[in-house]
Amino acid sequence: MLPLSLLNTAKGHPVLVELKTGVTYNGHLHSCDNFMNLNLHEVICTAADGEKFWRLPEVYIRGATIKYLRLPDEIIDLVREDREYRERREAASGNGRGGFRGGRGGGGGGQRGGRGGGRGGRGGFSKQQ
Amino acid sequence: MSEAVGLQSYINQQVFVVTYDGRTIMGELKGFDQTCTLILKKAVERIIQKNDATEEIPLGLYIVRGPDVALVGEMDAEREDAIDWEQVHADAMRGMGENH
Repeated sequence: MLPLSLLNTAKGHPVLVELKTGVTYNGHLHSCDNFMNLNLHEVICTAADGEKFWRLPEVYIRGATIKYLRLPDEIIDLVREDREYRERREAASGNGRGGFRGGRGGGGGGQRGGRGGGRGGRGGFSKQQ
Repeated sequence: MSEAVGLQSYINQQVFVVTYDGRTIMGELKGFDQTCTLILKKAVERIIQKNDATEEIPLGLYIVRGPDVALVGEMDAEREDAIDWEQVHADAMRGMGENH
């Protein structure tokens, strides 16, 4: 299982993020991207020394600054269900991804006709013997 | 010895992770990616101390970012159980530098 898949499944759930600086952010995961940049809502920010606290409505965290994340234990079970659901859908639609292949063939055929017209002179090649 | 490189063979097994700040975390390796970002299930941090008894802090479902991982090792359940961790004492492991 890829860590980013797990993180995507955790959207909407509370997470704890600790940065390399030791500051921790506790909030609901609103969104994430492939760099693990995160958007958290309703956040409690705790200083590295554990002494100071802030409440922030929304934060954006750069993935590169994250040391680790803690997620609710049940998320790992949700990923399995998520994957099974997607696999069942793909099997039922019968390769929905192949739908566009017909379009490419039609476009290429039009061009080939034009190129042939210009070289009509070649037909005049005759053996002069 | 097999030629397999990488963490695939450790999947669903208990592993022992050392992070760049000198923490030791154990857990079941559920996933990883090319940057060595890890998913650990039922993660536990084991803190071995010089004068006090060893502490174990349960961490639950844990994602460690690849840049913070120094080492991932296989855990041997038998050798684990054979050691009374409460009696083990050692200096705290130092971190590996500020740039990680």
